[in-house]
Amino acid sequence: MRALIVDDEPLARRELRRLLAGFPRIQIAGEASDVEEARERIESLAPELVFLDVQMPGGTGFDLLARLDTLPRVIFTTAYDHYAVKAFEVSALDYLLKPIEPERLAAALAKIPTPSAAPVAHGPLEQLFVRDGPRCWFVPLREVSLFTAEGNYVRLSWGKTRPLFGRSLSALEAKLDPRRFFRANRQQIVNLDFIEAVDLGEGGRLHLQLRDGPEVEVSRRQARLFRARSTV
Amino acid sequence: MHGPLQTQVALSVDDAAARRAFTFWALQLVIAAAYFWAQASGEAIFASVPWRKAETMWGIVTLAHLVLTSTIRALAKRHKWLALPPRPLFWRVFAATLLAAALTFGLTLAISQHIYGQIVPPILATFYAKLSLNNQLFNSFIGILLIYAAWVCGYFAIVIQRQRTRDELRRVQLSEALQAAELRLLKSQLNPHFLFNALNGVRALIADEPTKAQDAITQLARTLRYTLAAGDAELVTLAREMEMVDDYLALESLRLAERLRVVREIEPAAAEARIPVMLLQMLVENAIKHGIAPLRQGGTLRIAARVVARMLLIQVQNPCAPTQEAPPRAQGVGLKNASERLRLLFGDAASLELDLATPERAAATVRLPL
Repeated sequence: MRALIVDDEPLARRELRRLLAGFPRIQIAGEASDVEEARERIESLAPELVFLDVQMPGGTGFDLLARLDTLPRVIFTTAYDHYAVKAFEVSALDYLLKPIEPERLAAALAKIPTPSAAPVAHGPLEQLFVRDGPRCWFVPLREVSLFTAEGNYVRLSWGKTRPLFGRSLSALEAKLDPRRFFRANRQQIVNLDFIEAVDLGEGGRLHLQLRDGPEVEVSRRQARLFRARSTV
Repeated sequence: MHGPLQTQVALSVDDAAARRAFTFWALQLVIAAAYFWAQASGEAIFASVPWRKAETMWGIVTLAHLVLTSTIRALAKRHKWLALPPRPLFWRVFAATLLAAALTFGLTLAISQHIYGQIVPPILATFYAKLSLNNQLFNSFIGILLIYAAWVCGYFAIVIQRQRTRDELRRVQLSEALQAAELRLLKSQLNPHFLFNALNGVRALIADEPTKAQDAITQLARTLRYTLAAGDAELVTLAREMEMVDDYLALESLRLAERLRVVREIEPAAAEARIPVMLLQMLVENAIKHGIAPLRQGGTLRIAARVVARMLLIQVQNPCAPTQEAPPRAQGVGLKNASERLRLLFGDAASLELDLATPERAAATVRLPL
């Protein structure tokens, strides 16, 4: 597995490199010392795993994640501000406290499944990093029932949480798995897994009743597409 | 210091309560005795009635006064009337006074009727001899009401005044205790972030550069020892504080490497001046945390100290990111603590200023009396 080390301190990078030498599974693809450099490295090297320091010059590890299009797996490394990492509502990630204990590192790496032969980077998006105000989430996309455009942003309906995602609905749509997500109208994308019932409304309009939420009206243009794919 | 102070306050509260009860009852009994004696002997002398009858008559009335006034006090205490705003307090006191006066009035008439066979006690009948019976009764009631009003005014005036004094005292004690606690707290402790980063750096050095690792451990130990000892003394010489700051900077250099450059300009005269312990450390830590560490290329930290016109002038300068938004808030806590500490130690004689006017440069200046 190819990994990138992101930390502004040369000594901390050196230490992590040494610790990782004990894990032949992990192949260090490169290092970065600040957010901008890390973004470039992640885009050019496409590592599957990133060891990410929280406090760095030019922005935090969270800033970096918010700027990425495709999320690698992330293990935060932090000296003391683990509370910042714990601020995640759902931690689909691990964090290591510096100085890093080899046992903790082994445990964190053991949680990562061996990647399948297919390259991860080019598949459809699995999860989103969402930062709304002071709170951050790794949101597994299959758990999101509905995406609703709000201006240039997108409101996610994710269980009881409704975080705002800082990209446009169209930009998001391009990255979503078309087998799971369907553009119902100009404003909304629904998760097909969450559709409980399909009703015929006034004037033959299609209405999708979602399991944990509202009814979504399918626009006339999209209704044809919807029918086409439901009959398949 | 905290524990004993609290115990003292608690003890004095108990003592004070006992003392207050004693004062109250002593005053009550003296006033009651005076009232009884004036009324009874007045009646015996001026209305020419047997002393035994006068004694019984006014003995019972005096007892009623005692019971009713004490009841008012008990009510006021139980229902915490003093905590009420003035208006509700007034109406409760007014109603209690009226009720007590009415009860006493009725009792007086009844006893007089029983003992003398006349509704108005002889002394009052003699006193108001020229008035009609109705006016005699009215005047008697007003007399009783005025006695209660006087008692109530006296009682509440004393109690309210005492409560104020007590509140004032408590405020003073509290602010003294707070000041002591604040001083302890305001001495900035070592930032745990720094500590763990330093340990991480040492761990990295151990295998490749053991000598450097040994030095770092020594520096870390000295830094920690200084911080722990900082609780004992308020003031240290600038030279002593500077030794600690040098250790601190050496450790920060481990992690920031060439990004941190330091220039020291300490005048010999300034080195012997005494400064609040950990003050310079806090300024340096702030300058690194908010100024140099966030910069990709790092920068030069400048520490200067000199004596000007019998004042010690310490200045810590650092570059900062031009786009840094609202740094005062982030830097606020440490600096606010430091200036609060200066105020507690030196009053208005010392000052701490943070100058962010120059773009891309921050300067913290401390002025202390020598």
